[in-house]
Amino acid sequence: MRFATPASPLEVKSRKIPSAMEKKSWPKNNSDVCIRCATCMAICPVSRVTPKFPGPKQAGPGSERFRRPNEPSVDGWIDLCIGCHLCDMVCSSGVNISELNLIAKAKYLDERGRPFRDWLLTHSTLYGSLGSLFSPFVNYLLRNSIIKRIAEAVLRIDRRRELPGYESSTFKQWFKKRHSEGTRKVAYFYGCYTNANEVDVGKATVQVLEANGLEVILPPQRCCGIPMLGNGDFKGAEKMARYNVPSLLQTIRSGFDIIFSSTSCGHMIKHEYSHLLSIPGADEVAQHIFDIFEFLRNLKESNGLNTRFKELSLKAAYFAPCHLRALGIGLPALEILRLIPGLKIDPIEADCCGMGGTFGFKKEKYEISEEIGRDLAEAVDRLKPDIILSDCEGCRMQIRHLTGLKVLHPIQILRDALS
Amino acid sequence: MHFDLIIIGMGLSGLMAAKTAAESGKKVLIVGKGMGSLCLFSNTIDLLGQFPKAKKMRDGLSQWIKDHPEHPYSHAGPEKIVEALSSFLSLFPPPYSFQTIEEMNCLIPTSAGTLRPTYLIPMTMVGGTLIDEGRTLIVGFKGFKDFYALYVGDQLKCRGITLSLPGPLHDEITATALARLMEKKSFRENIGKEIKKQLREETRVGFPALLGLHHPITVKENLEEIIGVQIFEIPIPPPSIPGMRIFNRFKQWLIQEGVSFLPGYSVSKAMAKGRRCEGIEVLHPPVITSYSADRYILATGRFIGGGLKADREKIFEPIFNLPVPQPPSRESWFGTNFFSETPHPIHQTGILTNPSFQPVNEKGELTLENLWAAGSILAHHHSIDEKSREGIEIATGYMAAKNALEK
Repeated sequence: MRFATPASPLEVKSRKIPSAMEKKSWPKNNSDVCIRCATCMAICPVSRVTPKFPGPKQAGPGSERFRRPNEPSVDGWIDLCIGCHLCDMVCSSGVNISELNLIAKAKYLDERGRPFRDWLLTHSTLYGSLGSLFSPFVNYLLRNSIIKRIAEAVLRIDRRRELPGYESSTFKQWFKKRHSEGTRKVAYFYGCYTNANEVDVGKATVQVLEANGLEVILPPQRCCGIPMLGNGDFKGAEKMARYNVPSLLQTIRSGFDIIFSSTSCGHMIKHEYSHLLSIPGADEVAQHIFDIFEFLRNLKESNGLNTRFKELSLKAAYFAPCHLRALGIGLPALEILRLIPGLKIDPIEADCCGMGGTFGFKKEKYEISEEIGRDLAEAVDRLKPDIILSDCEGCRMQIRHLTGLKVLHPIQILRDALS
Repeated sequence: MHFDLIIIGMGLSGLMAAKTAAESGKKVLIVGKGMGSLCLFSNTIDLLGQFPKAKKMRDGLSQWIKDHPEHPYSHAGPEKIVEALSSFLSLFPPPYSFQTIEEMNCLIPTSAGTLRPTYLIPMTMVGGTLIDEGRTLIVGFKGFKDFYALYVGDQLKCRGITLSLPGPLHDEITATALARLMEKKSFRENIGKEIKKQLREETRVGFPALLGLHHPITVKENLEEIIGVQIFEIPIPPPSIPGMRIFNRFKQWLIQEGVSFLPGYSVSKAMAKGRRCEGIEVLHPPVITSYSADRYILATGRFIGGGLKADREKIFEPIFNLPVPQPPSRESWFGTNFFSETPHPIHQTGILTNPSFQPVNEKGELTLENLWAAGSILAHHHSIDEKSREGIEIATGYMAAKNALEK
């Protein structure tokens, strides 16, 4: 029989792939193995709301057969793939449909050119600290309806979409003043949005880790590159990855694991850096980077989790972001939050929030984005929660936009239960 | 992470095993790709469609078990099959519940315009069993390519009409998009009013099975109110909306009950020490994650689900490399005629088990002490010809979990 010697049966951590040989046996993205079973059509959030996108079966393996590297792209609708990965996850034949779509999208946009708007939406990392520095003024502008009208007319950023405001002090500035202490060290990849727009997510992550006896360090980092990648800008994404990987590698080789609180940044670094961008060293990084709740769940498995929670009498609804699901780690936030006494938490039954990172800001896609989100909003309506929790900043933006309810990262609630 | 039980496979048998184990308070992981065949074939629950409509299922099943001692149903036994079915039914309380027509097989119309025997049907399909009585109107939608109302109507000797949808929906529309629109009141009202206008002396209206994903009964009742006659759903080619309703219900229930639900990635390897499985690995490049459990259930299906694979020479089971009895050579995998009277020999291949659903080799010896198998991957059934797919999945998923937890 074809059995290998087992790893330790109680092993919690992921194992490093031992040799380059095994890498060759990774599943290849072969569109010809598609049996056209249509399971992907059952799950696609975009083709469910618009006939403009033919759905993963046709857009991915179906069209792939007609694509030639030297011929111009004819995929006028490819830009409508929201990049949720849900199709990849249900394909029993192992076709990585969203990857086919992304490569086709990049080719299409390379040929047609990208609007300045796309550059602006994907490079918030460059102006994030400026936004924080002049936050009262910037936030006023971002909310001003005349400015939004102009942005819509000139840039085609939909004026119905709230633009995320900037906080007056960044997460990094907050952290600098803090003296983190613990018996063991972990590193934190906080991401641009936490740094400039939702600083409390970063604070909560640090506070929870410290409450578990861990000292937090911040390795040098830039944007993970997922906004660029999602817009088919492989070069832009690669630039970010080539900065982040050596920095994270150095941290890892000094003996520290890396934690992320944004599931989109996390998915990008853990899977796309290696698989799609082939960044040297990315495989090693992937073995040592963990979602914050995955990390806490590992602590729980080894009886190391601080569970001295106070009672929180709160009715919460939890939405699992697509990139969390694509990480293939289950729903660790839900598992941990269920340990908090008094907290009633129900999963929201919806497939995708419809935000798709920068997708939902674009005028030509806004209505699709909102229509996808409407299913989620209806599911929320049925649950009638006090508060909604989700691990992804894009999902939180969209859920706030659609429901008007308070939406937090689950780590903020966990911090509240610990303090 | 360590579990009491790991179930490999996201189809109906895996979901049933997970439900059964969760009910006994065990720490359960269910892992796998896709949704099994739920959104491919399953609209209703077939038990044994093969024997005549007039016979009570109970009697038919007893006879079947007597005649087929190796069949998965015989390993489960008639009482346990009934128990498993009621466990399944308990997940579907009214309004969207399943029922039989007098505990016999019933015939329901299909989108090919044929009548097909099945056993448990959702409330939305009950009207279809009466298609012989009175007159029925079959409704299709322009741009929806999986259901041609005129053709279906012609086959079933009913009138068919095709409704045009407004605006951009006109060109092409998918089943999921239509199911979603059906849950919008204004859309439904327009459809209902249009049908009422076009209704002649018909006393029943048949729709493709896409009357909403979340609240099909509300959709049905609302349409009945507007049109004024009974309506029913007719199963369509994949993706099956009724199958998705089943999958979503299991998923919601299992997550609520604290089962670790891990869809999206296939199990790439199993590790054994001696006669015990000690762990499984899930490859999600570039990361391999291992999970371990005291017991394992293999419910990966046959060829479509990847539970069985074939190369040029042989058919094999890729995770545990379990013995797969099969025709001696590739030439004998298929009969000469695609629609032959007897099933193709390749459809006999599957995993041999003992009566407790533990995989064994040809000599009847256990392969691994802590492994059970369930669902269509099992040998000694021809679910396609028997029309027994869902029944086998439900009964064996239930029994595999029961047996595994007893040991």
